[in-house]
Amino acid sequence: MSHELEQLRDAALSEIGGAGDEQTLEAARVRYLGRAGSISAWADRMKSLSKEEKPVVGKLLNEARTSVTAAIAEAADRLRAAKEARELADIDISLPGTAAELGSLHPLTQMLDRAISIFRRMGFALAEGPDVETEWHCFDALNTAPDHPARNEQDTFYLPDGRLLRTHTSTVQIRTMEKAPPPIRVIAPGAAYRRDEVDATHSAQFHQIEGLYVDEKVSIGDLKGTLEFFLHELFGAETQVRFRPHYFPFTEPSFEIDVKSKALKGGEKWLEMCGCGMVHPAVFEQVNSARGDTAYDPKKWSGFAFGLGMDRLAMILFGIPDLRYFAANDLRFLRQFA
Amino acid sequence: MKFSVNWLREFVELPSGVDELAELLTLAGIEIEGIEKRGANFDNVVVAQINSSVQHPNADRLSVCQVDDGSGQPRQIVCGAKNYKVGDKVPLALPGAVLVNDLKIKPSKLRGVESQGMLCSPSELGLSEDGDGLLILSPEAQIGQPIGSLFPEDTVLDVEITPNRGDLLSHFGLAREIAALTGAATPSSRTVTRNDADQPARGRAGSIKISAPNECPFYSARRIENIKVGPSPDWLRAKLEAVGLRSINNIVDISNFVMLELGQPTHAFDADKLKGEIVVRRAREGEKFLALDGKTYTLTSRDLVIADQERVVGIGGVMGGEETGVTASTRNVLLEAAYFLPSSIRRTSRTLNLPSDASYRFERRVDPAMILPASQRATELIGELAAGNPAAEIATAGALPEPPPDVSLRYERCDELIGVPVPKERVVQILEGFGLKKARVTDDETSWRIPSFRSDLQREADLIEEVVRVFGIENVPVRYRSRFTPESEADRGHDLESELRARLAGRGLAEVRTSKLISRKAAEFEEGAIELRNPLNEDHVALRRSFYPSLLDVWVRNVLGGTHRVAIFEVGRVFIPPEGREERYLGILLWGNSGPSAHWRSKNRILDYFDLKGVIESVIPSASFRRVERPGLILAVEIWRGAERIGFAGQVASERTKPIDSTHPVLFAELNLASFAHLEGGLIFRGIEKFPAITRDIAMIVPENLSHEKIFTTIASANEPLLAKVELFDVFSGSEGNFGVGKKSLAYTLTYRDKTRTLTNDEIAVVHAKIRERLQRELGVELRE
Repeated sequence: MSHELEQLRDAALSEIGGAGDEQTLEAARVRYLGRAGSISAWADRMKSLSKEEKPVVGKLLNEARTSVTAAIAEAADRLRAAKEARELADIDISLPGTAAELGSLHPLTQMLDRAISIFRRMGFALAEGPDVETEWHCFDALNTAPDHPARNEQDTFYLPDGRLLRTHTSTVQIRTMEKAPPPIRVIAPGAAYRRDEVDATHSAQFHQIEGLYVDEKVSIGDLKGTLEFFLHELFGAETQVRFRPHYFPFTEPSFEIDVKSKALKGGEKWLEMCGCGMVHPAVFEQVNSARGDTAYDPKKWSGFAFGLGMDRLAMILFGIPDLRYFAANDLRFLRQFA
Repeated sequence: MKFSVNWLREFVELPSGVDELAELLTLAGIEIEGIEKRGANFDNVVVAQINSSVQHPNADRLSVCQVDDGSGQPRQIVCGAKNYKVGDKVPLALPGAVLVNDLKIKPSKLRGVESQGMLCSPSELGLSEDGDGLLILSPEAQIGQPIGSLFPEDTVLDVEITPNRGDLLSHFGLAREIAALTGAATPSSRTVTRNDADQPARGRAGSIKISAPNECPFYSARRIENIKVGPSPDWLRAKLEAVGLRSINNIVDISNFVMLELGQPTHAFDADKLKGEIVVRRAREGEKFLALDGKTYTLTSRDLVIADQERVVGIGGVMGGEETGVTASTRNVLLEAAYFLPSSIRRTSRTLNLPSDASYRFERRVDPAMILPASQRATELIGELAAGNPAAEIATAGALPEPPPDVSLRYERCDELIGVPVPKERVVQILEGFGLKKARVTDDETSWRIPSFRSDLQREADLIEEVVRVFGIENVPVRYRSRFTPESEADRGHDLESELRARLAGRGLAEVRTSKLISRKAAEFEEGAIELRNPLNEDHVALRRSFYPSLLDVWVRNVLGGTHRVAIFEVGRVFIPPEGREERYLGILLWGNSGPSAHWRSKNRILDYFDLKGVIESVIPSASFRRVERPGLILAVEIWRGAERIGFAGQVASERTKPIDSTHPVLFAELNLASFAHLEGGLIFRGIEKFPAITRDIAMIVPENLSHEKIFTTIASANEPLLAKVELFDVFSGSEGNFGVGKKSLAYTLTYRDKTRTLTNDEIAVVHAKIRERLQRELGVELRE
């Protein structure tokens, strides 16, 4: 027949195995392994045992302690896992997740950032110039005749001191060339103003990215390569791009660029995107006279310039039907671009 | 300008289809804005004459007409129109005809009376929208003639002509361009006037005096006598109407026709109403003039006028006068054809707000070589269509403008600028196609004589553009060329703005972009804001000098739109008076709920000053704040960065937020970003602490007016090397606690740490006690256990 300790151990293991909650388990631990527990009590009894019995009982006692302790740990893990499972079983996982107020960037900012990042990959640096400009920077330097209709008070906002709000970002071409000799490779994002009544496609203030590249032997092929690459990056490689000759006073030859793509809103027809052209030699001559040197000798340097309407690009790219959304800043609109 | 394809075809061979023509022009830079089909080419519709008309026996609104359709048999038609008289010639749709909208004509009985066909209105033939009455044809129309011969099928192109290409503002001019683009035979102006022998002798200069030769270098007038003013023949009316002009009478129509055909405006005066010789002069200051449009204009000495010995009879190149215009009773006319300075015409037309078809063309410069041929063409037509008897001589004064100067083209430069070699022979062929002629030739360069109608060709680049237009930009291969570009100041500014935007969006704020032009109402609160000299409306009158009015406006509109939370910012330029210096500012506005309006876990707070401060600190961690007084704010602080004041923040006074009447505070801050090279919080590694920290709390009761800043600096002034961090974790005011009114409780966690070892509780107890003692001694605070 087995030793009393073995019987005690088996009873403990069975009780622990059957414990259904943490209190019952703790009670079992105290009863067997606590200071006054029935297994612990054998440690005291060891002193009164004979030399022959001591090693045998000692071994049994160790075994009993070890196996009961392990069983308690195992049972504790089992009970905790069951408790956790019980607790989580009732959770309604369909409750809404914890909310955070997300901020957002204005869609025009996002449009500008996209365009700028493409041009930066192509090696363009940024440039800037003031919104309030002199008539010379806005018109004379850009080869626009003194009686050109664009200078009229009906089309251009003037300040009392005779300065004006630039009607295009092309002024930055002049500002940039005044400051630095060629080669030049810049883009200039910025606001421009026209004296237009506000409607779905017109606003008094609009946004452009101006581009200017002046170097030796810059050609129409370079202009085409640059803007085709940009438009393909922006709208996708499958987009068709078409150059059409046009007229601007400050470029010659001048072009307008159209794109066509089924992926764009209204893009089943050609959409006008951009005005561009080769910098007019008269513009270089004006810059030279302002600089007082011949840094921009039209015989040595050539270049191209372009102007992209950011409001229109954003409308096409994001499917926005009315320009007035941009200035209204309705949060229900802005949050769509978070 | 509208162009009739049939009309163009009179001068040049066109591509086979209209779509090909439109494509050709579009890719050559001549933009087609619309394509419209016209004409009335219907089978079984003929010219008929109304021989009698009687009231329908059973219907008040109908008549029963007997018409002659040329078949020899009279035909009975029931008709509802009222605009005809017996003897008129009108279109008759015979049984079997199929008209617009698939209207099938067959014999029928209308209220018991037989009708063998239908008399047609313009709309029933698709000629115009006009469906009010019958189309009355001219008396010359041949009875029985198919209607299609009077209104042949045509296509009308609406073409945008760029301002540099005035030479394209006529059918002849566009035809000449098409010939150059396709290589078809070039039309000559001789194809329109009969022959040189008919050209009048020039003379009688004494009858015209030019006293403003700069504005009008050349003027011609031809007298034509015994004219019969009347309706124009159908072909002429059809041509004018096809391109959108209304027929007036034969004389006016001929003048318009010649302008549309050759590009040169002419004007016919009633010669019997002119008093003495014609004088081309500047107007006298304040001189009054009654124009053909029935309005009286007050002129200035900058306006060019045509006058007789008594009064102004026309604003040169813009509009003729009412008193000397051609009327039904005019017998003799004086036909003007002249050259006017484009800039002068443009100025007058603009200042008087009086644009006309003539001014449109003179502004864009007419072809000097076309002035006399156009006059001759009009004279011939007046002879043919109005029985006029022209004077043998044409009176002229002044001299035609000089032909444009020669322009040189270097072939190497041409290839360089285009980016692909274009064979020399091809360049020559293209330029000759545009009417240019070689003047001087060397191996590398040719000097070209420019035709009189192409004064826009002034430089080498202009010639290269012509080459590209015909060569085709689609044939220029793309080139990818790059250059390494160092970062610019603008790049750094852009990147700073981008980072700022990202941080603020990360804090849950929405970026707005408001107009830099502010309204009259907003400008009233913005003292000194620079006003525009010529605002268009009350919404855009001044340049913003602050984001304050704009962001308040966005707030109002969004609250009215039903939102419960407005947390917005804007980064951009403002214009500092008086000179309008442009500076980059940041504006922030907070209002309403701290979180989403309703959520099962969120306890919503109302945003307050400390939320605003937190946003500012997230951008400028080192910012310090000083309380100030500021109009419009009930709580105002200045924001300092080191020794520099960079902005202000506060709670907007309720008098400024009246449109909404909200009990929640509106918080606004504005910072000048001018001195920011980059955001704080550098990119330098500072090491991770290896040894554990010990924290101890201090709670204290202090008077309400003792600031956190004072306590904080007192703790910091101990200069205790082991003290790593001080954090305020609790604030209680006296009314909430039980320690009495006028007092508050603050609680801080102090973190102690040494970089090189683990601290013991005993040594920290000593240090901590010193700090507690310091607070008691220096501030007299009551420490709590």
